[in-house]
Amino acid sequence: MSRTISPERVRDETIDESSQEDRPWLVIVWNDPVNLMSYVTWVFQKLFGYSMEEATRLMLDVHHKGRAVVASGSREKSELDCFRLHGYGLWATVSKSD
Amino acid sequence: MATFKRKRRGAISVELEDWEAHMLRELLGQMRELLQAEDLKDPVIARLYPPAYDEAPDAEAYRELIGNDLKNSKLGAIDDVAAKLEGEGGPLKTSLSEDEFDAWLRVLTDLRLAIGTRLDVTEEMMDREPDPHDPDAPALSELHWLGWMQESMLRASMGGN
Repeated sequence: MSRTISPERVRDETIDESSQEDRPWLVIVWNDPVNLMSYVTWVFQKLFGYSMEEATRLMLDVHHKGRAVVASGSREKSELDCFRLHGYGLWATVSKSD
Repeated sequence: MATFKRKRRGAISVELEDWEAHMLRELLGQMRELLQAEDLKDPVIARLYPPAYDEAPDAEAYRELIGNDLKNSKLGAIDDVAAKLEGEGGPLKTSLSEDEFDAWLRVLTDLRLAIGTRLDVTEEMMDREPDPHDPDAPALSELHWLGWMQESMLRASMGGN
């Protein structure tokens, strides 16, 4: 398990070299006890054009890990994505990648 | 129980029993009132309009930016569903375009979120058969019924029944 740590550190240093403006913003969807798995999968396909397979993978991440990054990009785009997700009743937030 | 079927050219046909159309109309009315009152201290409103950022200043700036857009979008979807439920009782037969299908799923979601938040449900509660002696049993049944409709709609849209 420990072997995976060093490549991640290397990658983090690379990201640190870029300016703040280059860092993408992330759109995160959080798990909730009410929304149906099938519905969440459908929303991911509908809003982001994911394949059924990819949308299902993201939905399972939300379900099992409590959250998943479903989109990234500029702050404006991320806020719009977040707004659309709220329109579909999903619990979404925007945060800066680190 | 409600039936959803895929028709030609992507439309979805809907058949609701009298009690189902009646209950949906009731729930739509309650949701409309809740959205219009917009009591920010109400946990249901807090769930329907989640903060977009962890940090309060960013979350407030975002909320100012979107203004009434989210509220109006939710109210518009309720109007779209209500328009399909007009009638004088009795079983209801109608059909949904792609946009109407979308509005129905969003409204059913908001209704489920409202009931789920009021009941403070957990995933474990959702998996359990409701206990008929539980005072929350009627609301839990509504929650499951709305979810069952969503599942049927999604199955129909993928070509199943």
